[in-house]
Amino acid sequence: MPRLHLGDWVDSGVDWLVAHLSWLFDAVKAVVEGLYDGIDAVLTAPQPLLLAGILAVLAWWLRGLVAGVLSFAGFALIDSLDLWDQAMSTLSLVLVATLIALAVSLPLGIWAARSRAVSATVKPVLDLLQTMPSMVLLIPAILFFGMGVPAGVVATLIFALAPGVRMTELGIRQVDAELVEAAEAFGTTPRDTLLRVQLPLALPTIMAGVNQVIMLGLSMVVIAGMVGTGGLGGAVNEAIGQLDIGLGFEAGLGIVVLAIYLDRLTGALGTRLSPLGRRAAAKARTTAWSYRPRPAVAVACVAALALVAGGLGVFGGPSGTAEATGENVGRGKEVKLGYIPWDEGIASTYLWKEILEQRGFKVTTTQYAAGPLYTGLATGQLDVQTDAWLPTTHAEYWQKYGKRLDDLGQWYGPTSLELTVPSYVKDVNSLADLKDKSAEFHGRIVGIEPSAGMMGLLKDKVLKEYGLQGSYEVVDGSTPAMLAELKRAYAKKQPVLVTLWSPHWAYAQYGLKKLKDPRGAWGKGDGVHTVARQGFAEDNPEAARWLKDFSMTERQLTDLEARIQQAGKGKEQDAARAWLADHPGLLDKWAPADGGAAGTKAAAAADSGAAG
Amino acid sequence: MSARLEADHLYKVFGRRQDQAVERLRAGADREELRADGTTAAVIDASFTVDPGQIFVVMGLSGSGKSTLLRMLNGLLEPTAGHVRFDGRDLTALGDRELREVRARKISMVFQHFALFPHRSVLDNAAYGLAVQGVPRAEREKRAARALELCGLAGWETSWPDELSGGMQQRVGLARALATDADLLLMDESFSALDPLIRRDMQDQLLTLQKTLKKTIVFITHDLNEAMRLGDRIAVMRDGRIVQNGTAEDILLRPADDYVASFIQDVDRSRVLTAGAVMDTSVTADAPLCRCETASPTTPFAELCAISARVPHRVSVVDGAGRLVGVVPRQRLLGFLGDETADPVPCDAPDGKVAAHA
Repeated sequence: MPRLHLGDWVDSGVDWLVAHLSWLFDAVKAVVEGLYDGIDAVLTAPQPLLLAGILAVLAWWLRGLVAGVLSFAGFALIDSLDLWDQAMSTLSLVLVATLIALAVSLPLGIWAARSRAVSATVKPVLDLLQTMPSMVLLIPAILFFGMGVPAGVVATLIFALAPGVRMTELGIRQVDAELVEAAEAFGTTPRDTLLRVQLPLALPTIMAGVNQVIMLGLSMVVIAGMVGTGGLGGAVNEAIGQLDIGLGFEAGLGIVVLAIYLDRLTGALGTRLSPLGRRAAAKARTTAWSYRPRPAVAVACVAALALVAGGLGVFGGPSGTAEATGENVGRGKEVKLGYIPWDEGIASTYLWKEILEQRGFKVTTTQYAAGPLYTGLATGQLDVQTDAWLPTTHAEYWQKYGKRLDDLGQWYGPTSLELTVPSYVKDVNSLADLKDKSAEFHGRIVGIEPSAGMMGLLKDKVLKEYGLQGSYEVVDGSTPAMLAELKRAYAKKQPVLVTLWSPHWAYAQYGLKKLKDPRGAWGKGDGVHTVARQGFAEDNPEAARWLKDFSMTERQLTDLEARIQQAGKGKEQDAARAWLADHPGLLDKWAPADGGAAGTKAAAAADSGAAG
Repeated sequence: MSARLEADHLYKVFGRRQDQAVERLRAGADREELRADGTTAAVIDASFTVDPGQIFVVMGLSGSGKSTLLRMLNGLLEPTAGHVRFDGRDLTALGDRELREVRARKISMVFQHFALFPHRSVLDNAAYGLAVQGVPRAEREKRAARALELCGLAGWETSWPDELSGGMQQRVGLARALATDADLLLMDESFSALDPLIRRDMQDQLLTLQKTLKKTIVFITHDLNEAMRLGDRIAVMRDGRIVQNGTAEDILLRPADDYVASFIQDVDRSRVLTAGAVMDTSVTADAPLCRCETASPTTPFAELCAISARVPHRVSVVDGAGRLVGVVPRQRLLGFLGDETADPVPCDAPDGKVAAHA
């Protein structure tokens, strides 16, 4: 069979689109961002409990008292888990995606219902969109829209579009043909036939489609979190990346609360909107539990709560960022930091967020997987990342994007890659010892993401060098899975062989033994580099200079990492601030302000509010 | 032109190469030949006229093309060839917009399965046609309520269609059609889905309404009894063609072919025939000879039998002016009942009396 170069065509097609249709993508991006910002601003304006009250009244009106009380409890739970902002940002994302999905899918569904040709054309496209693994669509989405909400919304949208179109078409086709004929026989225009007969009668089915759109949108939120949409999806991703089971569960629970609320609400909305459903509901017996306020009462309640929300003047809470002290070098300029959830990445990123904010910059930090992170930098959507392992581990990304990136130099090193066993595995100390011990480890080396540079190195070089191919199988997986496996085996004192690297907090947490590499198969260690997008240095000469001169000792780094680990999730910047305060002089050394009156008191004067 | 509605050589062909198919049908090809080519001839060369105030029944079995024919009359289906003229206007030449206007104001329709809008109340259903016309709410509700009252549904305005029995639902359908004051009423098997008793009620009600409203009605049915009861004229369709077009008595007494004849076998003649149909019109006079009980031309057959049993001789049939227009001998009554039109054969007994041999 000749090889079809389908992939190459797609590649060049995407490149062409990026080159020639960027105005279109920018326009779409602007619309999506505008919608998202608007909705998010409304949702985050009132006090959380007040908004929970408003949402609960909505549920009460549409479904009844129990639903109202449970909604309030659910949203109060989210608030008490400290996930309110994330939840609202996820809700905004889903609402925007749903709105756009409906704006596209309803007309498309109507059109498909009226024309067999359209229906036949649309069907395979929908199949493609719905079943194509969503990760495959994410990277082009980043290339088109950049990281962040628009890419997430578009990925969500594409995935959620199909049921909207299908159910609309089905609903309209299901309407009794004799009824449509009756409408025509009385001289109804096609437009009125649609609006007065077909759509009202198709409404229950269409609403089921809307419900599906929302549910699929929510299920995409976690995946969209990988491209930096933040919200609960981002929280879940962060939790997974850092093996934080507790936070993952909490954020997951937040998504569940949102899902159940939206599901029940749209279900009830379908009943309320459709005349037939209204009648059925009216026939049902009313009890205290199912009592629902009249629309006027509900609107009054919502309005009253909204007025309270407005009257309290709670619009726009104070943000928990550090205040600029000393020389205001940044003058509010924005710097976008991206990071991979590796400990030295988190530590250095939040350290620099704190430093730059004290110097007057406005800094955002977002967690990504390595691929999107490099894509974001190369396309200029991110400014800096501090965790580039070069030249080996991130070699692939550097090869692909290096020409479009600016290496600001190594700040820590050397690092090392290794295979590691728990220290209770007595007789294995070097890679050379592994040869006959295959049975002990069940022939498994627990690996990380197959895309990681060290995995390629391991499979292609290290195993060969020590003659281990055949007797060992490298298990592809993920870093969290590898760490979970290590934790499990460690707790049971079972032998386990994992891929690991230094620096890594696991060495502090467990008694581990790096296997020696007498033949140097892993190569020389990497350095941890700071990488900026092209042009960053010209735009921000001071910041670029500071980053270029930056370096940390192992002691400083592990100390900072430990501080952050202790402070816990969500308090990274506080920990970095406290750590800086404990090491006076470092701030001025790393970010010397030209005026010289550098703020040694910067830390003390800094705002004490938590970031995020 | 006195006809309100005229169908002029209507053809309807579904499938490929329709014009060519019409040519072949005109040249005498039959339905089966076309079917082999993937085209279906639903209506072939249908022509008829309907006078104002007349009930014109199109009768045929399912698949005979009668529903397709009906839908060409109000333009829901466009004829492949031929013309429909309504009040002298050629509907087939109208654009979509004008056609909708005609449908909204002049022609209304009653459906087999009622086709009531389940999301509208009874009153809103009845007012639907008026809403399409753009009549203001207050007025259209008044007119709809009047139409409902006419159909015996006063008091049910705020109910919903699914709360009504089948017969009542079809009354709503009828009220919806009447509310627009359209001149032409198309009724597509409108009573076929009802129980026999209810169906009879509805037929009676339609006839009663028709006495005062004098609409022009085209009524589709597969039930010959219904056709005979309602129709001023009846067209019998078979395989897309109208095989006979005439009055109930024409069809009953002079079936055009074996198909129609086989159809009318099951018809209860005593229900359909009247004195006017069975009387011997060779005997006429200015007045009856005696003062015995007489019948009128519209006296139903069953009643005529009763009169005949009470009168010792032929029953005289007298018109409104008291003139004798015909007579009905008992022999003739029995002949019609048994579908026997020939004269009696002479008896071979000497005195012509039937007796048992001792």
